[in-house]
Amino acid sequence: MKKRNTVLAVVLAAAMMVGLVGCGGSGNNNNSQGSSGSGENNGNGGQVVSAGGSDLNVMLETPVESLDPQQATDGTSFEVIACFTDGLMQMDAHGTAVNALAESYEISEDGKTYTFHIRQDANWSNGTPVTAADFVFAWQRAVDPAVASEYSYMLSDIGQVVNAEAIIAGEKDKSELGVTAVDEKTLEVQLNVPVSYFLSLMYFPTYYPVNEEFFNSCGDVFATSPETVLSNGAFILDSYEPAATAFHLTKNPDYYDAARVQLPGLNYQVIQDSQQALMSYQTGELDTTLVNGEQVDQVKDDPEFTTIGAGYLWYVSPNMGTVPELANENIRMAMTMAIDRDAITNDVLKDGSKATYTAVPMDFAAGPDGSDYAGDQSRYSDVCAYDTAQAAEYWATGLEELGVSTLSFEMVVDADDAPQKVAQVLKEQWETTLPGLTVTLKVEPKKQRVEDLQNGNFQLGLTRWGPDYADPMTYLGMWITDNNNNYGLWSNAEYDAIIAECTTGALCTDPEGRWARLYDAEKLVMDEAVIYPLYTQCNAEMMSSSVTGVEFHPVALNRVYKSAVKAK
Amino acid sequence: MKKYIFKRVLTSFFTLLAILLVLFILMKLMPGSPFNDEKLTVDQKEALYAKYGLDQPIVTQFFKYVGGMLRGDLGVSYNISKNTPISQLIQSRLPISIRIGGCAVGIGALVGLILGLIAALKHDTIWDSLATVISVIGVSVPSYVFALALSYTLGFKLGWFPQLFSKNDIFGSSVLPSLSLSMFTMASIARFTRSEMLEVLGSDYMLLAESKGISGSALIIRHALRNALIPIITVLAPLVVDLMTGSLVVEKIFAIPGVGSLLVNAIQSNDYNVVISLSFIYSAMYILIMLVVDILYGIIDPRIRLAKKGD
Repeated sequence: MKKRNTVLAVVLAAAMMVGLVGCGGSGNNNNSQGSSGSGENNGNGGQVVSAGGSDLNVMLETPVESLDPQQATDGTSFEVIACFTDGLMQMDAHGTAVNALAESYEISEDGKTYTFHIRQDANWSNGTPVTAADFVFAWQRAVDPAVASEYSYMLSDIGQVVNAEAIIAGEKDKSELGVTAVDEKTLEVQLNVPVSYFLSLMYFPTYYPVNEEFFNSCGDVFATSPETVLSNGAFILDSYEPAATAFHLTKNPDYYDAARVQLPGLNYQVIQDSQQALMSYQTGELDTTLVNGEQVDQVKDDPEFTTIGAGYLWYVSPNMGTVPELANENIRMAMTMAIDRDAITNDVLKDGSKATYTAVPMDFAAGPDGSDYAGDQSRYSDVCAYDTAQAAEYWATGLEELGVSTLSFEMVVDADDAPQKVAQVLKEQWETTLPGLTVTLKVEPKKQRVEDLQNGNFQLGLTRWGPDYADPMTYLGMWITDNNNNYGLWSNAEYDAIIAECTTGALCTDPEGRWARLYDAEKLVMDEAVIYPLYTQCNAEMMSSSVTGVEFHPVALNRVYKSAVKAK
Repeated sequence: MKKYIFKRVLTSFFTLLAILLVLFILMKLMPGSPFNDEKLTVDQKEALYAKYGLDQPIVTQFFKYVGGMLRGDLGVSYNISKNTPISQLIQSRLPISIRIGGCAVGIGALVGLILGLIAALKHDTIWDSLATVISVIGVSVPSYVFALALSYTLGFKLGWFPQLFSKNDIFGSSVLPSLSLSMFTMASIARFTRSEMLEVLGSDYMLLAESKGISGSALIIRHALRNALIPIITVLAPLVVDLMTGSLVVEKIFAIPGVGSLLVNAIQSNDYNVVISLSFIYSAMYILIMLVVDILYGIIDPRIRLAKKGD
């Protein structure tokens, strides 16, 4: 009996201890950490006020995937990398490329050689100067097959840097890349053909420099902690761990343009739950946050509510290659004309997204005269507009040509919230306007949807494309014969010829002529209803009225904080 | 006992190997691939597959992975944190998850036990009904609903606790997630304690003990609770595992840098190595808990221990 009692006592005591120690232990831990932590914060706060402002608190939807400029591929990572790294050029508030690490540059007469002169006062945060060799090292990494950078095509297909393509394919050594360090501060770049938008590529993180010596000293863990990244930009990363949910950057006092940087630091917080994000904004923990479609009604009258262009074009891709019914042009025309795009943006999305009637979306590419390429949305109104009568006519003709009275299609859709809602509305609009049509939706995880589209394993696909650089070619390049992203397997020799002319042909050195020719190409896409454009995506955001000067861009770097000011 | 434990550890080892194999096959059956961005070309995808050895036959991949694992190498992440060794990813996250989970189990078990005891001792009174209502709510409402509700009321409206996890205030910011996670445990434990206690209280030996003059707390703790504890420990073990799955969503809501939120992100982006490593760690923890529970049985109930000896 006695023994039993002891055992019982021990068990019970142990059970309780587990509970208490678990919580109590953390309590102790926290108390000490908490007090020292808040002490530091107060300290910071004090300094900060004297410096004229406090840290900007920014919300991210997803964690950073990589801080390695040659490995990163997502907008979140690009934004953070650009906070602490400058490239040769940077974007001004309007997205135009202006000098950053490059003090000046020369372009040869044939447009194929760029010579950049790097600023004398540009230094890495460990004190070593930023040199031309840092760029050569980084660019060679970007095309090195051993690194397998997903954005290597920024140098080959898009940048047209000499030998990039052959190096990526493993046919040449990376040392043969068309980029050389003439001297410590002079970088020379050779291109295959003149690239009209080449300067704007210089602010894309794939083109950012990496210090070779530092890189080698980090071994396999380059860019995974504050100790393994070097800054040459406006901020310095001072707390970070891989896939962190919260991290911090502080102003770089040795930045060559430090006078411009007003913020003492940046506080990043990853919040994946939209309700939590909005509440944190409302309590003042965040200065800016994303708002999802369902929350828009709740906050749309708030003066701090704003919508910001995200650049993405959402469209439906009909599979013309393997679905005979969709190879019929009248059927496609009927479908694109039966879509009420305004209803989708105004009643479903409500986030400021803009109904789009062109194959190239709005507000990301300005022409030689400075106007938006897709500014005129009625350019193709004869073939792309909401016109149910016209749609029904095309539909009847199409059905007659096919010799059928009913058709049914399946559309693949991402499992995310917004695309599913849009697809549901599309289905209703089509089935209402086009008699005899049945559309079924196949909801898939995004990765699977992309694979199905790329493999041609679909009938209709609801998909999107974001611009990689500020030129219509980032879209128009997709629909050439055999392009990986020409999901519908459309092929038109005339179109291919125009695109070739504008990328590697005679029009490379004639910006106005090229611009006009790009419209010819787009017209072909629209005339044959190769895609059904839907809308240009906007993001609904809350932005504190005390914050000004945050620059938003649809291309490359979505948010830039160099000129941001936070009052208070 | 030692022989028994040795046998169990050995079985656990092979169970884990089997789990690893199943995980591997499941990963391969998962739709899509880790490198399925619309911007990737076929050549690039091939290069990435080759880089990470994913182009090799699945059997080779499996043995390579097991080999790496035995050396303590869990591989690298493919996309949620590119090329970062998974051991580095988990290192700082596991303690956070375990701490919050541990708190939740501690709170849940303790409060549940007390609630159950009250309900059983005050059988058929208002206290009993109240405890039953609480436990029914606790069992039927998912932890993320509690998380959102608590975050809205105690965090947003009253401002007592931070809504988001903060490294500067780990204690304060652990309260809401621990509470929301503990609800299910608490409710289940309360229900089991109540029914077990009622059964024990009505048994003959309780009558005997009572008639022998043992009374009050001694009677309840020594004779009733102890006998009721065995089934409770049995349910506590799987509850700990439920807690892990519950933490997947709760960690996401509170932006806790734990393994749960990591696993969710990894699954969504087909990050094979991270998913396999974390699932494996979860399985290992589950098996370990079961082992501990089995050993605990022997300690609480000598009959089980004696039976083993008799074998």
